[in-house]
Amino acid sequence: MRHRKYPFIAGFLFVPVVLYAVFVIWPYIQTFGYSLTDWSGQSQTMNFVGFDNYSKLFSDSVFKKALVHNMLILVFLPVITILLALFFAFMLNVGGRGRAGAVQGVRGAGIYKIVFFFPQVLSIAILTVLFQAVYRSDEGGLFNGVLVKLGLEDKQHPIEWLNSPDLVLWCIIGVLIWAGVGFYLVLFSAAMQSIPKEIYEAALLDGARRGQTFFRVTLPLLWDSVQTAWVYLAIAAMDVFALVATLTPGAYYGGGPDFHSEVMATYLMRNFLTYGKSGYACAMGVVILLLTLILSAITLRITRRERIEF
Amino acid sequence: MTTPIKEPTPVPVGKVSTPVGARPRKPRKEERFAEGGGVLNAFSHGFLILWALMIVFPLLWVVLSSFKTDKQIGGSAWSWPSHWSFDAFSRAWDKGIGDFFVNTLVVLCGSVTLTMLFGSMAAYVLARYEFPGNRALYYIFVAGAMFPVYLALVPLFFMVNRMGLLNSYIGLILVYVAYSLPFTVFFLHSFFRTLPTAVHEAAVIDGCSHTRAFFQVMVPMAKPGLISVGIFNVLGQWNQYILPVTLMQQQKSGDPDRSMLAQGLVNLALQQGYSGDSPALFAGMTVAMVPVLVVYLSFQRQVQSGLTAGTLK
Amino acid sequence: MGSDFNRRDLIKRAVAVGLVAAPAAGFLSACASGGGDNESSAKGKKTKDNPFAVANGAGLDVVIFKGGYGDDYARAFEKLYEKKYKGKTSHLGTQDITGKLQPRFNTGSPPDVIDDSGAKQIKLDVLHKNGQLADLTPLLDAPYIDDPSKKVRDVLQPGTIETGSFDGKMYSLSYVYTVWGLWYSGKLFKDKGYTPPKTWSDFMALCKEIKKDGTAPFCHQGKYPYYINILVMDLIAKTGGLEYVKRIDSLDPTVWGEGAAKSSIEAVYELVDKGYLLPGTNGMTHIESQTAWNEYKAAFIPSGSWLENEQLKSTPQDFDMKFLPVPTLDGAKLPFEAIRAGAGEPFIVPEKAKNKAGGLEFLRIMLSKEASGKFAQAANSLTVLKDGVGSDVKLRPGTQSTVEVLKAAGTNTFNYNYPNTASEFDTAVQNASGELMAKRIKPAEWLKRVKAAAEKAKKG
Repeated sequence: MRHRKYPFIAGFLFVPVVLYAVFVIWPYIQTFGYSLTDWSGQSQTMNFVGFDNYSKLFSDSVFKKALVHNMLILVFLPVITILLALFFAFMLNVGGRGRAGAVQGVRGAGIYKIVFFFPQVLSIAILTVLFQAVYRSDEGGLFNGVLVKLGLEDKQHPIEWLNSPDLVLWCIIGVLIWAGVGFYLVLFSAAMQSIPKEIYEAALLDGARRGQTFFRVTLPLLWDSVQTAWVYLAIAAMDVFALVATLTPGAYYGGGPDFHSEVMATYLMRNFLTYGKSGYACAMGVVILLLTLILSAITLRITRRERIEF
Repeated sequence: MTTPIKEPTPVPVGKVSTPVGARPRKPRKEERFAEGGGVLNAFSHGFLILWALMIVFPLLWVVLSSFKTDKQIGGSAWSWPSHWSFDAFSRAWDKGIGDFFVNTLVVLCGSVTLTMLFGSMAAYVLARYEFPGNRALYYIFVAGAMFPVYLALVPLFFMVNRMGLLNSYIGLILVYVAYSLPFTVFFLHSFFRTLPTAVHEAAVIDGCSHTRAFFQVMVPMAKPGLISVGIFNVLGQWNQYILPVTLMQQQKSGDPDRSMLAQGLVNLALQQGYSGDSPALFAGMTVAMVPVLVVYLSFQRQVQSGLTAGTLK
Repeated sequence: MGSDFNRRDLIKRAVAVGLVAAPAAGFLSACASGGGDNESSAKGKKTKDNPFAVANGAGLDVVIFKGGYGDDYARAFEKLYEKKYKGKTSHLGTQDITGKLQPRFNTGSPPDVIDDSGAKQIKLDVLHKNGQLADLTPLLDAPYIDDPSKKVRDVLQPGTIETGSFDGKMYSLSYVYTVWGLWYSGKLFKDKGYTPPKTWSDFMALCKEIKKDGTAPFCHQGKYPYYINILVMDLIAKTGGLEYVKRIDSLDPTVWGEGAAKSSIEAVYELVDKGYLLPGTNGMTHIESQTAWNEYKAAFIPSGSWLENEQLKSTPQDFDMKFLPVPTLDGAKLPFEAIRAGAGEPFIVPEKAKNKAGGLEFLRIMLSKEASGKFAQAANSLTVLKDGVGSDVKLRPGTQSTVEVLKAAGTNTFNYNYPNTASEFDTAVQNASGELMAKRIKPAEWLKRVKAAAEKAKKG
């Protein structure tokens, strides 16, 4: 099968590689070029400043704050989303009333799977408008309204969700989880269904509790899916731009109050478009890029495990 | 199907849930076996219902808001619409929601198809053929998935402009394809690796060309993987906002408005910020939401089964 | 020089909903090719009535930013033009000026008149640098339609020409005259017998009374601290005087150690400290807080004069919206009547427009009493035409009250320029004010932060 191999390879790779190089790689390379200049974004005149932008970045306290926030999201978003999704998936598939030792899902599992997936198909514009109302800072908000009605909160001192330095980041993570769990639930659930029921039943017969079957049987067999989910969520965590920019307080792309929800993407955008420090913003972008690459490499390495065949 | 082993009561097993004569809802003795089953059941139902409410409720709120007045929307989120009319919907429709929908469909048809075609071609070659630079190329592709898109926007705009493809379906389709390639290649690459080599070799020995072997043997075998990655792509491109907002803008007064749906909705929302028409915004959101839900409902089986295949191997 | 008005648009609109502006306006037009030669349409005859020699039947291509003022008013202006010159006008109303027009500038076929405003405005200085803007001096020297013995330049509000000028020449006509300050409901005040306060101590006393009556005295659009800074910076300006405003604009850090800034910010903090804020107001969007104010949940709110038009649908019929200049502290350098006012919403005529004469004429038509009155009625805002609203035009109460306030202010107006020139500093001041209102920092810390930001901005 050696004959005509290279023409074939070249033929198959040509279009994708050209598209990718022209629309993706080349713009990024240009971005790197800009990061070495004092480009203001307003004109095509700029001076070469070497690595000045990069050295400034390391003493920029707001950027560091943003970096920490991204890291927090990077840790909590995947962990919580995956745990919740796994939990729900386990409930749906194994949580049903075991009859005669048979393992089955809860009633209505199909409906749950459909409903939980809904947020995934919503456009970001809808999410924004929706959660603006949910987190609204007086009793008119969906959250505060419930809390006031339940008597858990004083009408005169409502929780200003998005304007509270301690809560705002969690509010954003909350939206991401709300929107994401359904997708991963369906992902895990599909993986669980491909695990033969006999494995569970054998485990149950061996005296394992249901909770134990989860850790001893389900989780190891789902590892591939978990890893996939992790990569997806990690990438989502690096880019929470749209939600932060629209939901959080502050001038120009949110990030408030007082930078408490600032993420790298919003800070980059503000520098780029508002402050006219486009070269600086590009340097930020290059750093974000490197960080993402390193993190992905680490994630893949850590989660790599022997696969269990079944 | 399983066989009850130590089970004294003669109850039909497995998925058949019509016990003869017995009232099925009552807790039964066999619960003792799978210890905690009942508790777990109540517990899981509780949680599931709670989460389901957390999803359904806000969405219903969006739908209800399209029947409210501006004043009610500006006021408490908890108000109930005072009059039921579909005015807001026709206003939203007048504002082009329908067109945005069609635009989005046109682009997605092209972009998802091409993404899958080119993505699978590249992934296949990279996964199954040895050649110098293979690894490097693979990593360059995969790395693209990690780049934040907004970094490339400015040079990208110039590039598309130079090609004269601003505000054209083709331009946006090509860009969507390019930006979807990393994911697509990444997942299909691992998928093609897991497929047995024997079938393919047999086909080649039978005189099949590499190209034919790919389209007639490998693609059908890879169908579950393709479906799953295709779903990822549909969802990803459906929710894409930043690319169309940069590239799909009318260039002349007479140019057709080719806004994508997300873009159109945000424009509606922008107008709403200017004392515009909030009910119409919510009506637009409802209009945008419902068809997607319907599509998902009709295809959810494929979505779910397709997803299994799309994991890292 | 963008106007403050656009700046504020940028702040809240782009951020409120627009997830991200398209790639920065500026640098795109920087590459303007200048493109194809544009044959300008045939010249008409120059007469006193037609100072720019617009050809009869020449079409006019108009692009209007469709924001808070809508674009109906522009259609009315186009009718006036069509009536006079029998030319067809084409009209495009959009929120996205950059997206729609950048490429047209690049290819050398821009429209004839543009309302270049909003979050996606094309930066005027960039257009100017690239020679894309027509010099409006001929317009200034053309006769005023309602009284041809006067020139257009003589009938504009003070500051209009400066706002639109680069190097001493005017390139944009900022058409809308905005005033900033506090707003209240005339009905609420009448019903409860409150008197609009003139001094800060009266203001605080009234707040106390209002609170006792069960209404929140004050609310603001907390999600965007831009608004509370209207109160903060107006108070500082009135206490410190015009010279002080200039020093703030020039980023002189020492102003923040002086009495005017200190007493003003402490006064504002009193509102917070005494619990005079509407619960939850610190987290509210502009729509949420303004609607709450319309529902009589709070008595005062800071804003610019676009407020009435923005709240049109939420304002009760008998609300009787009224403007109040920011009350003065003891020893203030400016009188109570002094207000922040300035021209905004720049209209431009592209240098390469096909019907450039028509574009200029369109602007001249805009500066007639008829057009100005139409605008005031349709958009509930004033134009830069002095006495631009005839007595026959019936205004809404809020707009009417700004007319009166402007009359009372006379030459006592001021405006800040730092939001246009030092956006990083502006952001820092906004953040500090947001923190102050949320009671997370004290006035001393506010001053310290703002001073540090000024020092940093000065260094560049």
